[in-house]
Amino acid sequence: MDYLYGIIIIVGLYVILATSFNLIIGYGGLVSIAHPVFFALGAYTSAILSRDVHVPVLLAMLAGFLVALIASIALALPSLRVSGDYLMIASIGFQLGVLELIKNVRFTGGPGGFTNIPAFLIRDFGRESYVLLVLAVMAAVILLIWWIARSDYGRAMSAMRDDELAFASVGRDAMWMKIAIFALGSGLAGLAGGLYAHYFRFITPEQFEILQSSAILTMVVVGGMRTTWGPVVGALLLEALPQAISFLQLPPSILGPIQGLLFTGLVLVFMFFRPQGLVPARDIWRSPRKEAP
Amino acid sequence: MSGVLEVKNLSKSFDGIVVARDIELTLHAGRVVGLIGPNGAGKTSLFNLISGVVKPDAGTVRLNGATLDGQKFHQRVRQGLSRTWQHVRLFPSLPVIDNLLIGTTAYPGERLTQVLFGAARLKQHDDAARTKAHALLGKIGLPHVADALVADLPYGQQKLIGVARALMGDAKCLLLDEPMAGVEGQAYAAMQRVVREVAESGVAVCVVEHNIAFVRDLCDEGVFMFSGAIMARGSVAELTRDPQLTELYFGH
Repeated sequence: MDYLYGIIIIVGLYVILATSFNLIIGYGGLVSIAHPVFFALGAYTSAILSRDVHVPVLLAMLAGFLVALIASIALALPSLRVSGDYLMIASIGFQLGVLELIKNVRFTGGPGGFTNIPAFLIRDFGRESYVLLVLAVMAAVILLIWWIARSDYGRAMSAMRDDELAFASVGRDAMWMKIAIFALGSGLAGLAGGLYAHYFRFITPEQFEILQSSAILTMVVVGGMRTTWGPVVGALLLEALPQAISFLQLPPSILGPIQGLLFTGLVLVFMFFRPQGLVPARDIWRSPRKEAP
Repeated sequence: MSGVLEVKNLSKSFDGIVVARDIELTLHAGRVVGLIGPNGAGKTSLFNLISGVVKPDAGTVRLNGATLDGQKFHQRVRQGLSRTWQHVRLFPSLPVIDNLLIGTTAYPGERLTQVLFGAARLKQHDDAARTKAHALLGKIGLPHVADALVADLPYGQQKLIGVARALMGDAKCLLLDEPMAGVEGQAYAAMQRVVREVAESGVAVCVVEHNIAFVRDLCDEGVFMFSGAIMARGSVAELTRDPQLTELYFGH
């Protein structure tokens, strides 16, 4: 059962990562490579605060969310003042730089990783309670992004993606909207990081490498960008497939490359045959509000 | 008499090519100024400089006495300096009504905190904005297109909606970039009527337009631009009679 719980939690966390990344790249139209490092910032912040500073785990997780959020603003503010494209370049540097920093300072455990992270809920309420916690947060994140996308904010995001100059010409501020989108999306990745750390209780820098970025992107693209369920379907599919392959009991030397091939192959297949993803987005944004008669 | 919009000594050049040379321009409430001149004279560039899309090398822009210098495009729009585009630039992924709803001066829906915690305020704002949007659609003679998609409408109607969108805020000054280009028939008459009504409501209007008949019918004053500079001002009839300007306009 523990093995199954582990898988459910991993899938749930990737749904959070893909859904929050969908907010950034799908709805916001912002290209970022740094999603894994915000995941890492949340995980490390929560782990360090709870183990070494003895902050209660729930507060430490919240701090992980906030640290990722604040760090993303610090990254976006100077980048987006220049242009949207600049964020992509800056995010590569940020991803590589912060991970290098984590590997090279003492209080993160360095390249060997950070161990003995305090457990949460499991000792008192069993592993099931943690599974429920992750699923509840996952549901809340899906609901949150769904709510935002259909609200007046969704209308503004659509307009901003259509034409930024026209967006400014009606008095709207594209830069601050992009910063807010990026901050919320990245903050949620940090929250997922905290949830990861206190279940598996061991984190290493390798888990947050830049390759994770392409995995998350693949989930969003294959599932369907700018849809509520696309990233969910994408995360389920791309996390379940490798698990299924591992049941084939192939030697690890073959297993790794096969999984890599599968990811790349899926992206190529979808790019050619179904660029809209499994769940296609609607072309037109419509308000859920009913007109007064 | 001080104007709604006052432009002083506005200058700009790109790599030695002058697009604005010491421009002085005052727009008054209730009056329509026609900006005419050949292609490349700097008319649209002047709109870009005034609205803050492009930063000037020198000069100042004031709206109702308050300086706009250093303010970004969207900030100037919120102060009441509104503009349209030569190529309309409506939002294709939004229905017509939503193209208008996004254009109110304050739009609480652009702040995440409001979206998450201010449902009542959003609703209140939305109701008021919808009333205004429907009134504007009625004014431009297109009350039935609210739910239509922009791409499904003829170009002339799109241009009218572009003007309506620019009026969703509280425009004190309206810059219209070739409102008549590509507009014919009913939409033409509607555009004439709308621009006149906007001016009569006390907005200062400036029109860049190649359609001289439209300019002559509508504008209280003409300003002739050539090579980034204002060459002449006066009534449109006077300007179009001037053989020297006619020569500049048509070239040889």
